[in-house]
Amino acid sequence: MLPLVSLTLFLPLVGAVLILCLPKPTARTVHGIAIVSAALTLVGALAMWLQGVSGDGFSQVEELEWMPVIGAAYRVGVDGISLPLVLLSAVLFLVSLIYASSLRDRPRAYVALILLLETTAIGTFTALDGILFYVFFEVSLVSMYFMIAGWGHEDRQRAALMFFIYTLLGSLPLLLAILGLYLGSPDPTFDMRAWIANPPLEGAVAMWALIAMLITFAVKIPAIPLHTWLPAAHVQAPTVGSVILAGIMLKFGTYGLVRFALQMTPDAFREAGIVVLFFGVVSAIYGAFAALAQTDLKRLVAYTSVNHMGYVIVGVAAAALTLDPAIRATALDGAVLQMFSHGLVTGALFLLVGMIQERTHTREMGEFGGLLKTVPLLGWFFVLAAFASLGLPGLAHFPAEFQIFLATLGTAPIAVIVILGIAIIAGTFLKALREIFLGEPRDRWNRMPDLSPREILAVAPLLVLTVATGVAPSWVLDVIHRTTSALVL
Amino acid sequence: MNAVLLPILPPLIAALAVLLLRRGSAVLALAGATLNLAGSLWLIARVVDVQTETLLLPGLPDMPLRLVAGPMTSLLTVAVATVATFVLIYAVGYMKRESGQARFYAVMSLFLAAMQALVLAGDWILLLASWELISLCSYLLIGFWFQRPEAANAATRAFLYTRSADLGLYVAIFILIGSAGTSEIAASLEADAGAPTIAGLLLLLAAMGKSAQVPLQDWLMRAMAGPTPVSALLHSATLVAAGAILLIRSAPLLTPEALFAVGIVGGITTVAAGVIALAERDLKRVLAASTASQYGLMLIAVGAGVPLAALLHLLAHAAIKSTLFLAAGDFQHAREGTGFDQLKGVGRARPWSFGGFALAAMALAGIPPLSGFFSKDAVIAAALSAPGAVLLGALALVGTLLTGAYMARALRVLWQGSGDTRPVEGTGWMRAGIWGLAIPAAVLGLAFGPLEKMLDLAAPETAGIVVIVLGLVAALGGLALGWLVPAQRLLGPAHQWAESGLVVAGGLTAWVGRPAMAVAGGCNRLENHLYAAALGIGDAALSIARGGERLEKRLYQDVLGVGRANLAVGRWVRGGDERGIDGLIFALVAAVQALGARARSLQSGMIHHSLAISAVAIAVLFVVILFSASLSF
Repeated sequence: MLPLVSLTLFLPLVGAVLILCLPKPTARTVHGIAIVSAALTLVGALAMWLQGVSGDGFSQVEELEWMPVIGAAYRVGVDGISLPLVLLSAVLFLVSLIYASSLRDRPRAYVALILLLETTAIGTFTALDGILFYVFFEVSLVSMYFMIAGWGHEDRQRAALMFFIYTLLGSLPLLLAILGLYLGSPDPTFDMRAWIANPPLEGAVAMWALIAMLITFAVKIPAIPLHTWLPAAHVQAPTVGSVILAGIMLKFGTYGLVRFALQMTPDAFREAGIVVLFFGVVSAIYGAFAALAQTDLKRLVAYTSVNHMGYVIVGVAAAALTLDPAIRATALDGAVLQMFSHGLVTGALFLLVGMIQERTHTREMGEFGGLLKTVPLLGWFFVLAAFASLGLPGLAHFPAEFQIFLATLGTAPIAVIVILGIAIIAGTFLKALREIFLGEPRDRWNRMPDLSPREILAVAPLLVLTVATGVAPSWVLDVIHRTTSALVL
Repeated sequence: MNAVLLPILPPLIAALAVLLLRRGSAVLALAGATLNLAGSLWLIARVVDVQTETLLLPGLPDMPLRLVAGPMTSLLTVAVATVATFVLIYAVGYMKRESGQARFYAVMSLFLAAMQALVLAGDWILLLASWELISLCSYLLIGFWFQRPEAANAATRAFLYTRSADLGLYVAIFILIGSAGTSEIAASLEADAGAPTIAGLLLLLAAMGKSAQVPLQDWLMRAMAGPTPVSALLHSATLVAAGAILLIRSAPLLTPEALFAVGIVGGITTVAAGVIALAERDLKRVLAASTASQYGLMLIAVGAGVPLAALLHLLAHAAIKSTLFLAAGDFQHAREGTGFDQLKGVGRARPWSFGGFALAAMALAGIPPLSGFFSKDAVIAAALSAPGAVLLGALALVGTLLTGAYMARALRVLWQGSGDTRPVEGTGWMRAGIWGLAIPAAVLGLAFGPLEKMLDLAAPETAGIVVIVLGLVAALGGLALGWLVPAQRLLGPAHQWAESGLVVAGGLTAWVGRPAMAVAGGCNRLENHLYAAALGIGDAALSIARGGERLEKRLYQDVLGVGRANLAVGRWVRGGDERGIDGLIFALVAAVQALGARARSLQSGMIHHSLAISAVAIAVLFVVILFSASLSF
């Protein structure tokens, strides 16, 4: 039996090392190796998908001894919550590398960073050991920092530093919480499975650990009011950086919220659930309003992420609060599917924004107009992605948001006001479509070229998956539901 | 294949085929619509035998999607299919000169499929999904000429109005699923406990958005910026009809309070929209306001507790309103517009279209033996039998009077006066479409008896002689007033207000749109402050780094100083001719100098490099850890 998880996890790193070891490779070789290793990673993720998960605990677990004295080991595996995120990572990194394959400015370092990031992303989602998780969680930060600082836009260094310091400080509390969980375990271990099966902390200690985790994950997600790094980082990041940041790295936060906060300190979370719910509602609505006011297209998409991640927080909080296992399963189904959908849709949106910016060198929506006529393919792709993002049925966000709201109404009826967000986001995107794509085409953009094959290859897979997830969500939900329906808190 | 798929699949396949092939789109769309009509007829024939056809599709966990065809829903599929088929036939002529044919026919076909799915939806989730998809299709169709600013704005407005009202449907569905424990519509309708009033009111909100009830009527008038076949389809059997269909289907779960609210909203709308229609000076906009007014009548019937009457009026109105729009589109081509000033006397030049228009206008006004006469009488009878008979009955009668008045006014404009008429291409197709719908608009009333029997719904009390007389007096009175008295005189001081669409204090834009934008602006200002503060973190880090750089420079100077001192020492030593020490010291000096330069290049002030080092260190550590892990294995 092949160690599928580890293979999938380290394939990108192997690609990165290979690229760095080659003496003076051409840009073509570099991109070729990167795409092949990302494609192999996707094959690995698909193989993992075919293996599937059992309802009970984790599947496909691989374990190696590491530091037996302190109970830390190399442990990886998946369940219905992490497997969709692994698949999402494999897909998004592959399309990102396809999109980046035209890069000629220091391509070697760039794709090596992307591949390193891919390993850390898959590692974060598959790690079953506290230390291992933390290492992956932190190293991802470094690669993202260099991507922004090295290949970002005009004000990149400031933004990159801010991102780095903000999230680095933000993740320290998690380390304390992990140490707390370790010390609280009856038989000290870093095995996350043990922490989940028998949550080691109780009472005030559990509450403090929960608060520490919530701070870390709120920075990562990001939740109001710890979100301020996000627009700056997105605006300055290169396109691929934004795609990965929004598509994958924000999920570190929501994934941690489920895996750590909900599963390892469930009682404390139930007690504090209403506060978390409140922050989720505020994030979703505030993010939506902030998006509505933007004139910079990239910032607009960045703020819709705050909104969509707010729904995930609401779903997880509803799962923590409810006592009815059916409602909890619905809430978590929705929350996990929302992470998956958001990765696809926002990934597509950031790619498309990048394509527009590359052609026009501006992101100000007021400067466009009538682009649907000039670049129909880009235009229709954007229309599709925008409607997916505003939660239209038949596209990926609808089933997720439906389940989140349904569970919310069953748990804390008043919180269903969060649904106002979908009307505001509709306004946001329709206003953007109106300004950018509808109306009279401007002479300035007359000679704008439509999508190249490379660009189509990058964005089309995401849109296809968006439609597939919207029309027949069961292909993802079946995997998620197997775990969430068996979840005991 | 399950018969319940027959009305949905053909147009869906047609839409995909048009998108993929991008040629022969009209033929494909027509084939899809015709097969869909045949499928609907087949379905209704089956349902008469077996009562219901059901199909389960995979959906959300424990909440499968269901398609259920009962007598009422299969009847509605026939109505939708009929209107759509003739509208598409008409469109072949109407759209002849337009570019973007593939887009038009693909979206029209998708629209048709989504509407049939809405009608046949047997669970709330599928209903909600198709409910929103028809909004999307309307957006794309109203904005068909997206380069024109007014079309782009109208499409945006239509989607936003209906989407906002849809929130009502979302929350109502959450409540209904929560209380019934399943997403099946039938379970919600049969629940003994009944749904809470709030669920009914939320359903009403959603229906008000789609069916353009006051105060959400404004988007419908502007939606006229789309091509005319689109308007014909939107108003008669699809988008706007969805609101009324929702209320008709969910009538059993509405509490008396909710029913009362439905009736009142319908009553206010039928009068208000009737007045707006009377004051309008553009034929398509008259028809649009008339649509809102007629759906108001249907809501009165639902509110009165007789959804059957609403259903009959819905069917009659579907045939009538599509005929009127299609004829208006013909006039539009003949005169390059639909303003009353442009349309003077166009009826004489286009007698076939005018004939269809006049027949449908009489039917809408409620002249026997045309369909509208029977359906309107059913509505009036329902209103008069309701708990709030005085109010609802009066509103229904005023609505009827206004219908006669604005139709007569339109007919008068079309018949009197003269203007230059251009030859119209594709007249044959258009004529076929118009008359294909005008005939049912005329004779549908005769089928109402058998239909009532098939539907097996609580029939309204038979329209007594009082109702017939009241209805006829209102209709004929309206027609006479509209033909003889100018609208300004008829409406008096209210005329100007009606012309502006009866907007109260700036309308929804002022009440919802502007506050929302103000909140958004406030959030954005706050964000900008936070953003500046957050960038401050980056700045602070940079300034620390610069401080470090300065320190580093001084150290470098010192190192250089030491080096120079050493050099001096070296010279001095050389003077003493001690070769060995001399060599050593020179090497030392070179080493120190190199070290200084090295330090400088590494810590050149950009903190990035320090970070790079620490990152590389972390990465190395990481790799070492992993290797040690694999070795220990």
